[in-house]
Amino acid sequence: MSIDDRMPPTGLGQTNWTDEQRAEFLRRRRARNLLLLGALAGFCLIIYAVAIVKLHEYGQMW
Amino acid sequence: MSASVHTAPELLGETPVTPALGAEPRDWLLLLKPRVISLVVFTGAVGLVTAPGHINPVLGAVAIFCIALGAGAAGALNMWYDRDIDALMKRTLARPIPAGKIEAGGALGYGIVLSIISVLLLAMATNLVAAGVLAFSIFYYAVIYTMWLKRRTPQNIVIGGGAGAFPAVIGAAAVTGHITALPVLLFAIVFFWTPPHFWSLSLFASIDYEKAGIPMLPVVKGAKHTRLNVLVYALLLLPLAVSPWPLGLTGPVYGLTALISSLVFVYYCWGVYADKQDAKGVSLTKDKPARAAFKYSILYLFILFLACAVDHLV
Repeated sequence: MSIDDRMPPTGLGQTNWTDEQRAEFLRRRRARNLLLLGALAGFCLIIYAVAIVKLHEYGQMW
Repeated sequence: MSASVHTAPELLGETPVTPALGAEPRDWLLLLKPRVISLVVFTGAVGLVTAPGHINPVLGAVAIFCIALGAGAAGALNMWYDRDIDALMKRTLARPIPAGKIEAGGALGYGIVLSIISVLLLAMATNLVAAGVLAFSIFYYAVIYTMWLKRRTPQNIVIGGGAGAFPAVIGAAAVTGHITALPVLLFAIVFFWTPPHFWSLSLFASIDYEKAGIPMLPVVKGAKHTRLNVLVYALLLLPLAVSPWPLGLTGPVYGLTALISSLVFVYYCWGVYADKQDAKGVSLTKDKPARAAFKYSILYLFILFLACAVDHLV
């Protein structure tokens, strides 16, 4: 059996969690979502900045 | 609550005892090998600074970011592929996948998506040459080194050293749009620096590599042979490291710094070769010289590249 097969199921469907574990799961999920949001916002800002600089300096994107 | 939900020994042994609570954001960042990224950013920045020509600072910063992102993506792909052997080695046991914090499929997707983003963004911000070299460097590290060479030949890190040598070329290509002599020499320097750097490490971590079945030089050819090779590569590196000066690509600031720091590196590698050892070359000093050479090798590369940048700026 590989490592992948032994990964236990993740999610709120877990029935054997304590309140503390459930709260920890929610905290980690929120943190991951915020990181993803930040990454997407940052990516948009980079594209925007590159477009402005290239259009300003070279008059074209490519 | 502890960040570690279940450990690799549990994964390799019986059923995990605690449920998975999901990864912390930190685990996803660790998947990018941040320590490697810091070196890659530095060498990429030096390539960019020393290149002839001008690049808008915003585009330059984006280029460095893309190099870092591409290196991180390659690191994630490496961790995805090596998750089985990572679980067997003490040094890599705590990585997010063997530690059970991130699922392998997630790591694979993460690596692929970041690879694509880094290459496309670099092409958009700079040029196709830089983006092409970045794409090839990711392929080189993830496929040629990780999937092909690492588990097959004791020369794995000699050829794999090329993967870490690309950032300077990418940084310079981002400015010039083509590949010039100095970044090629910087590439060669990192290429020849990698074997003594990694073989010094493998001398005192060979038990780990042996356990994982990785044919590192000390495992296959023995410690004695490895010690000789560490010294030989350090000696080959010395003239190569100094060569940009007589070739007129850098000035005396770099040349003299390279000469002195390279001689010190040869001294450390001589220590590895001449370490007190038994008949098989196994250290009787707990590999103190190899540990010292490994530590200095990191500082040495940093000094070389810093001197190159300073030489260009003064």
